[in-house]
Amino acid sequence: MLLPPVIRASFFTQMALAQQVRLANPQPDYVAMQQAHPGGLMCPMDGIAVSFGRETTDFVLRHHELFSSAVDMPLGNVRPLIPLNIDPPKHSKYRKILDPLFSPKRMDEMEPDIAARANKFIDEFVADGECNFSEQFAEQFPSAVFLGLMGMPWDQLEMFLHLRDGILHPEKVDPAAEADFTVRFAVMNATGQEIYTYFNEQLDQREANPADDLLTHFITAEVDGDTMSREEVLDLCYLFLIAGLDTVSDSLTCLFAYLAQHPEQRQLIVDDPRVIPGAVEELLRWETPVPYGVPRVATQDVQLPNGTTLAEGTVVTVSYGGANIDPSEYPDGFDVRFDRDDNRHIAFGGGVHRCLGSHLARRELRIALAEWHRRIPQYGIKPGHEDLQFPLGLRHVKDLTLSWS
Amino acid sequence: MKVRVDDSLCHGHQACAVAAPKVFGADDYGNAVVLIEGDLPADLEAGTRRAQGNCPEHAIIIDE
Ligand code: HEM
Ligand code: SF4
Repeated sequence: MLLPPVIRASFFTQMALAQQVRLANPQPDYVAMQQAHPGGLMCPMDGIAVSFGRETTDFVLRHHELFSSAVDMPLGNVRPLIPLNIDPPKHSKYRKILDPLFSPKRMDEMEPDIAARANKFIDEFVADGECNFSEQFAEQFPSAVFLGLMGMPWDQLEMFLHLRDGILHPEKVDPAAEADFTVRFAVMNATGQEIYTYFNEQLDQREANPADDLLTHFITAEVDGDTMSREEVLDLCYLFLIAGLDTVSDSLTCLFAYLAQHPEQRQLIVDDPRVIPGAVEELLRWETPVPYGVPRVATQDVQLPNGTTLAEGTVVTVSYGGANIDPSEYPDGFDVRFDRDDNRHIAFGGGVHRCLGSHLARRELRIALAEWHRRIPQYGIKPGHEDLQFPLGLRHVKDLTLSWS
Repeated sequence: MKVRVDDSLCHGHQACAVAAPKVFGADDYGNAVVLIEGDLPADLEAGTRRAQGNCPEHAIIIDE
């Protein structure tokens, strides 16, 4: 079920949100929205709803049969993104193939490789005493990790970054895409074709020479006796470029901006790296770098737990950021504490679409924090760069510039 | 105190295994498995409660 009106709805949603939730410090605004609207549900116009409250959001995430994720997202792709825009039961089939490939155990095995890649970037600038953290570390490190996962040599990094930019940052490929939507979609669609071609070649190579890497596993994995078709595998590769790179990059900029601005809390990490896992969870809660979910469409008239009824066809967007600060779940949500108990944050979503890459992402973030603070324990925002820019899109800091001595 | 996981609710966040690694592990899909059958040793009870408090899906059930 592809619903082009969803694109329009999500456009209106974003406009409504841009007016009401500030990008630099959204947390108080999330709470204000919870208080301003019954059930924390903002309805900027007929057929559109945004859930800021935890109860409604949990309800939406747990009822995939009432709220379909099978929406059409305009990212240059020609088919729905697997598994993001697929509903159960088909969705479960894909997750059965994918979950074991991204399981905690498998990701544990990747840790030394991830650490080596993090250090390779730090090596480049550690002696300079400063870096543009966003560009020189955050935007590249997750792609480098993916090269390892996919069994590609380091020299493919540029290509990888180029493909990513073509769909997620078309203005970097053609500056005219910034203001002109026709150019924007043209760049995205052209890159989409490049992605299909590029991964087709890679997959041909794996078919000829199987290896112990993700691409080979995609080709050979079986569920209920079926393997995935070439198209299905391509759709997956496509989604990984979209879901697996900027999410981690953006999280890194949020986490490091926070730590650079909070030296006492940073010192906790330097003094005892064992606090890192707790710090990552708490900062993911506080920052919620993926602030909103994939728009979902009500498959029938639905009554929400607070009594509100949503009409069939309503496009519902959940605010993960709102859920992660909701006073009903976090009475002291504005305190950022690395040793917080009872942290049921849903920065990775929830229900059947819970982030497939969460175990990988957690390790990337933990390792980046561990290696960085081991090598550069004392740092701050470079004087003159204190005015942090949080552009539209996922929550991230542009050109976060750090310095150390 | 005994603990179990409701498989229909668990979606493999693995917050439980971080809070109580001796009590919770993961199957091949990343979903939680309880590693201890029967009554939990007293020294694991606090961690198990913390795991319950950290599970985003409310999938952990403690039987006192
Ligand atoms: C800190 C970094 C990350 C964050 C905050 C994050 C967040 C999320 C969220 C919130 C969702 C749910 C979307 C929704 O249904 O509303 C999601 C889904 C997904 N993520 Fe992540 N993600 C991160 C990293 C990754 C990585 C590294 C990968 C690569 C493997 C990845 C792959 C996916 C996939 C494939 C889905 C779709 C799952 C499904 O629909 O079944 N993510 N992510
Ligand atoms: S934290 Fe909850 S949902 Fe996550 S693996 Fe453990 S039991 Fe399952």
